[in-house]
Amino acid sequence: MTSKRSYNIALLVFTLPTLLFFTVIVVYPILQTFQKSFFDWDGLTPPTFIGFDNYVRLLDDSDFWVSLKNGLIFALVLVVYQIGLGTLLAIALSTKTLRGRKFFRTSYFVPVVLSGVVVSQLWIAIYNADGGLINSLFRLFGIQYEQAWLSGEHTSIWAIAFSGAWHHLGIQLVLIYTAIKSIPEQLYEAATIDGAPFWKMHWKITIPLLSETYKFCLVIAITGGLNAFQNMFVMTNGGPGNISYTLTFMMYKAAFRSGEYGYGSAAAAVLVLECLLFTILINKYIAREKISY
Amino acid sequence: MFKRLAVRALTYGPLSFFLLVSLYPLIWLLFYSFKDNEEIFSTNVFGIPGEWRWENYSNAFGVFDIVAYFKNSLIVSIGTVVFTGFLALMFSYAAARMRWRFANISRIYMTSGMFIPMQIILIPLLILVRDMHLQNSYFAVIVPYVAFQLSFATIIFYAFFRSLPYEIEESAAIDGASVYTTFFRIMVPLVKPAIASVSIFVFLFAWNEFLVALIMISDNALKTLPLGLLYFQTQFGSDWGAMGAVMVISTIPTIVVYLLFSEQIEKALTVSSAVKG
Repeated sequence: MTSKRSYNIALLVFTLPTLLFFTVIVVYPILQTFQKSFFDWDGLTPPTFIGFDNYVRLLDDSDFWVSLKNGLIFALVLVVYQIGLGTLLAIALSTKTLRGRKFFRTSYFVPVVLSGVVVSQLWIAIYNADGGLINSLFRLFGIQYEQAWLSGEHTSIWAIAFSGAWHHLGIQLVLIYTAIKSIPEQLYEAATIDGAPFWKMHWKITIPLLSETYKFCLVIAITGGLNAFQNMFVMTNGGPGNISYTLTFMMYKAAFRSGEYGYGSAAAAVLVLECLLFTILINKYIAREKISY
Repeated sequence: MFKRLAVRALTYGPLSFFLLVSLYPLIWLLFYSFKDNEEIFSTNVFGIPGEWRWENYSNAFGVFDIVAYFKNSLIVSIGTVVFTGFLALMFSYAAARMRWRFANISRIYMTSGMFIPMQIILIPLLILVRDMHLQNSYFAVIVPYVAFQLSFATIIFYAFFRSLPYEIEESAAIDGASVYTTFFRIMVPLVKPAIASVSIFVFLFAWNEFLVALIMISDNALKTLPLGLLYFQTQFGSDWGAMGAVMVISTIPTIVVYLLFSEQIEKALTVSSAVKG
């Protein structure tokens, strides 16, 4: 009997600290964010309940619509560059006869370990309007396309998003690459005997079998894009004007610069719902059937 | 023969092109950390520095207190690794190997954190940290970092504990070892590879994290490297060479860690992606 009791005590010792810690620091604040989004609150004095006023104000705020659009653009760039290009590179790297596969893989991954601040500061220099790397390249090849990438109305968010996509390409590449490696060899052997061309073979066999991996990749790419913050914070500070705002940036500005904690919470709440919506959609429309080889 | 050559060109060509896209900006950064503004932006944009200006680096150490930021980042990162590892190991062990009713549901509860972005809870978190009087200590960032890395660490440790044979505990129990002895003396040493993976990952995360640090730390003496870089940018932003030197110095540790442990990092990434999104 005592051993049963000591087992239960051990169980509590092992699990309770972690569960409590996680609940207090992560789960409880999420609920707080939602609750506070219905209040007018400066973070110091007691909050006043104002119902849906913060949300109504969001819909009227032009910053909000720009932020929403920019989040989607950011997500799109991440998906196309990291998952689209990542897939092509991963397929090429999984070719058995290719030399230097490990070298290629390691090199593509290197930017991932840089801090976001370093990446952003590096790309400020790359995008520099006068003699940055990109404009210098255009000049070198005699192409008349030099411009102020980060302050241009139509280029700013795309340029910022690309720096983010460049930063984390390696993560998606490794995920997709490892998934490809786990596909049984026989499937390809059969296709080769039937004389299927290389890309068609991968289109018909590899891509469909990757759907479980794609689910995860899409969730991190899309939520990562919607949540983007530090790239614009360091590179353009949301500007010029509001052209490179995102919802996180709005939340940051409202709460920590203007002291409007309630309004900031409403922006954060919209962000949660947006991420949730995409996660549900991805789970619903990708890989509905369980894959088994 | 011709066809084989064409296929080779078609694979190596794009692979090398994107290799250049990934690496050249970093090489370019290394080069410009030794140049002055004129060389960086007009006279010698692409190539190796005409003259190696080491003074950029001595400026980084002299004008900018990089050693202090380095120390802060080290303390925060190691603290995060230790607490995350300890909590996650104990919890994952209980979830994977002990018999209790809520083992599965509490594991799913813990993993849900993988999909919660930190920015969503920043506002309440700041209030919480303020109420707990952690504001002017390293714990202001270590506490949120640990809480957010627990999910990832739990996933990895759980997978490893699950893969061990059950006879280990049975024979330990026959020998009369308590749950604690079994855990610390037998089980933890068996998952060392997982501990390595998680530690590296969590270390890199804490070393590079920016947003939480920005909100939580106001005391200059506690600022981590990313915040230091930002400060340097606002103060000396027009001296690109010195800026580059600071960026290079703050990046070297992470690249070294990665090159030493790239296998473990890849493994950890793959295991964590196996959770349902």
